[in-house]
Amino acid sequence: MRRRLTQLFWLTVVWVLLWGTLSPATIVGGVIVAGIVTWLFPLPPMRDHVPLRPLRLLALAGYMAVDMFRSAAGVAWEAVWHGPRARAGIVAVPLLSGSARAVALIAGAVTLSPGSYVLQIDRGRGTFWVYALGMRGEGDVERVRRAMLLMQRKVIAAVGTAGELADCDRGIAAAGTEKTP
Amino acid sequence: MTVVDVVTAVLLLTGALSCLLGALGLVRFPDVPSRLQAATKPQTLGLLLILVGTAIRLEFESAATLLLVVLFQIFTAPVISQIVGRSAYRAGTLRSDELVVDELADPMARDDLRAAGTPVADVAVADVAVADVAVADVPADDVPGPAPRPDGEGPS
Repeated sequence: MRRRLTQLFWLTVVWVLLWGTLSPATIVGGVIVAGIVTWLFPLPPMRDHVPLRPLRLLALAGYMAVDMFRSAAGVAWEAVWHGPRARAGIVAVPLLSGSARAVALIAGAVTLSPGSYVLQIDRGRGTFWVYALGMRGEGDVERVRRAMLLMQRKVIAAVGTAGELADCDRGIAAAGTEKTP
Repeated sequence: MTVVDVVTAVLLLTGALSCLLGALGLVRFPDVPSRLQAATKPQTLGLLLILVGTAIRLEFESAATLLLVVLFQIFTAPVISQIVGRSAYRAGTLRSDELVVDELADPMARDDLRAAGTPVADVAVADVAVADVAVADVPADDVPGPAPRPDGEGPS
């Protein structure tokens, strides 16, 4: 119930921002529209309580903003310097979280960053596949994998439980030590 | 010329430059996924910079709407890019000679075989180290064949 109310609240805020005026009419209209939307498109029930850490969420947003600039520069360099000779690769990355929300956020973060997007997620195998532009050789495979693990670590730190974070650290340690043939 | 002017000018010009470089990539890159990268990502960044640059010159009511546009852009751009990119891969428009490495080709071919009803060697299933994820909450249609065993021996 509380979740329905927060959903209602945020949808109303979006509606009021859309109109750009804070008047009783827009607020009432927003509540009505939000009510219809939540009634027509109910979200699936959430099984677990997910902690939100505002500071780490902010850190994640900052990291993603910096990452966007860095990757945009990388894609621009590829376009200007290599152009038709640009090379890419598809890298398998271990998925370090089982929670649907973390996985969705990880996929969104990876895809928002220029030059890379998630091709396939397989939660059964605990793996997702990332397409990355601007790869030259075998060394880049590990570089991309490490960058993806770091991104996951930041996302899980922001929205994961303490247990998930510990699992994530174990996963990173395992991925870091194992030798890739 | 105030500080706000300078900040706005920098934001708008950087945004425009980002869009220009994206357009350049669209013309120069060799295949669909790389062009998709050039077409969606620098444009998103460019649009964000231009909108922020515009928003700081406006009064709050108009700026709020622009920030809403920024928010929706951030939410929707990855979804579109992901869907188009995945279709491009499945449709085979991705030129495999452009790829340095393709670690998805094998697992996906195996999934297709299994979906078609062909028995596939069970050893081949868990080829990447499976983390401690809850296998139980995977939707049934994600696992067409026998459930993967979490006993992988590292990436192949």
